Amino acid sequence: MNEACFLYEDTFISLLNLILYLIKNNIKPGNIQNTTYTPNLLDNVISLKIEEKQDAIRTIIECMGPYAYRSIYYVFLSTIEQKELILYYFILNGIKYQEKVMYHRNLRCVQKTITIAKYVLHESHKYKGFLRFKELENHILYAEIEPVNDILYLVSNHFKKRLKNEYWIIKDVKRGILSIYDKKNDYLVSEDDFTLKTTMLSKTEMEMEKLWKIFYNTIGIRERKNDRCRKNFMPKKYWKYMTEMDMEL
Amino acid sequence: MEQQEKLKILADSAKYDASCSSSGSTRKTKDGLGNVALSGICHSFASDGRCISLLKILMTNSCIFDCKYCLNRKSNNIKRAIFTPEEVCEITLNFYRRNYIEGLFLSSGIIKSPDYTMELLIKTITLLRKKYHFGGYIHAKAIPGASESLLQKLGFLVDRLSANIELPTEQGLKLLAPNKSENKVTKIMHYIKTNNSKKYVPAGQSTQMIIGATKESDLEIMEKSETLYKNYQLKRVFYSAYIPVNKDTLLPTLEKPPLKRENRLYQADWLLRFYNFKVKDLLDEKNPNFNILVDPKADWALRHLKEFPKEINKCSYNDLLKIPGIGVKSAKRIFTSRRVFSLTFADLKKMGVVLKRAKYFITCNGKYFMSQNLFCHEFIEKNLVLEEKTPKTIIQEQLRLFNE
Repeated sequence: MNEACFLYEDTFISLLNLILYLIKNNIKPGNIQNTTYTPNLLDNVISLKIEEKQDAIRTIIECMGPYAYRSIYYVFLSTIEQKELILYYFILNGIKYQEKVMYHRNLRCVQKTITIAKYVLHESHKYKGFLRFKELENHILYAEIEPVNDILYLVSNHFKKRLKNEYWIIKDVKRGILSIYDKKNDYLVSEDDFTLKTTMLSKTEMEMEKLWKIFYNTIGIRERKNDRCRKNFMPKKYWKYMTEMDMEL
Repeated sequence: MEQQEKLKILADSAKYDASCSSSGSTRKTKDGLGNVALSGICHSFASDGRCISLLKILMTNSCIFDCKYCLNRKSNNIKRAIFTPEEVCEITLNFYRRNYIEGLFLSSGIIKSPDYTMELLIKTITLLRKKYHFGGYIHAKAIPGASESLLQKLGFLVDRLSANIELPTEQGLKLLAPNKSENKVTKIMHYIKTNNSKKYVPAGQSTQMIIGATKESDLEIMEKSETLYKNYQLKRVFYSAYIPVNKDTLLPTLEKPPLKRENRLYQADWLLRFYNFKVKDLLDEKNPNFNILVDPKADWALRHLKEFPKEINKCSYNDLLKIPGIGVKSAKRIFTSRRVFSLTFADLKKMGVVLKRAKYFITCNGKYFMSQNLFCHEFIEKNLVLEEKTPKTIIQEQLRLFNE
């Protein structure tokens, strides 16, 4: 028989509660997966009924500090296989070493957590710059992104502060989730529950895109052309939704 | 003239300014459109690999000055254009809403007089801030020779204000930019430094030097930078490899801009600002120029090999910073981690410390990465040169330049 595989509800809070429960009861999981997981024949799948305590987050912050907590959250947003198990071991060590857990980079779980968190944060930072809005005819700003990690919430938070007096929608094309902002709050909705009334662009949209392309093509210095450097900073995976890059794709 | 053509002309004239950073501002915005991000955000990368963060344009490319190296000099027969303040606002706001840019970088050729030009910049930026409540990042150029009252006004509207020193020596300036004087530029820097606050130029000031248009050595350039950092608390000095846009008997004829030299100067600039190096550690009268084959820190380490190898688990933080290939982040990581466990080469690798160059200069718990006998000048230098993947053609070209 394989070691036990525990299931959680695919929310951050549910995962934290499960991990804290396992640690508290001294249970060593063989695997942790969310409920969409299809187990194989040898798996010993266990779905525990655990009370979803909202203060799990506070417990973690008080024990390990805000820096470690944020890293845990970023790892949760990643698509790395077995991220749950990495987090289990990270939190286990976090309870032991408290805030100093971040210094223990010789532990695999700490090293992994830091690297993955950095990777997620990096992608979200890149999208803060590379995301492009198009203005629809009803003046709503609309953008599409295709991130590897589930960073829509992080990106939304950024634009909530930046474009607070605009209506905007950002769609994660791969996951089929939209973030909708109505000048007050942002809401995450599934594409199944939401259809755009219009996808017609505003009158000035094409004009502005043209101006932007002119600017982009003018600002590079020909004598310094360096395509490798450009691709290093702006990998091709971002180009698809970038207005100025459609000529080069 | 159509807006598209104007933008083309006025972006083309502005592109030689190297600065495009949008970081370091802590200005708070209440309402309106936009804010600043402390870390800065790059919104795109141009074909030359440089970050595009700000809408970098000139108000006008007309100019009463005749600086030899400048595309916009009076004596050049090129198409001239001028934006109205409303036009600049319209483009900035529209670009910003669509997340093309982090803000505006507004500079200008000098029309009529320095004061007149400066007032035009102030008018535009006031409109942007007060009428349209634009909260994004603004970097403006201060016009040398404009009055202090205008400097004061502009500084309260922008995040960064800067004046370009252009050339490292007064002689160079006299030769190529007869209408400019160092005095006028340093006066601006002094004013900004004395008035700098959370409200006045919150992201600080920067400047730029053109590299390779005059005969100055790297030593002279770096000494100038060191003085500027010390006297005026500049956030950055930018180095811009000279690109021949004009023909003039006073200007050198280059086939390609001296990019490798520019790169070395930036590396050295970082050493001054973040690694506690002094210019006199790096260069002297006998070696007034940087080694093109290895970076300035490695070059320094090779000349001070007696101080190496450093024991990673014991040496001071300052010593960690002196190890070639180890940056501020790696040094901090090593410093915090070695308190909880003793580091080996494998640990360093796992921690993401790049060992490509560092391995030659360190020991981990007394162990060198190879036989200790190999710790000698020739072996390390040879390998460091091999690690730098500089294509031969560039090296040859640059060496030729240096010998001239």
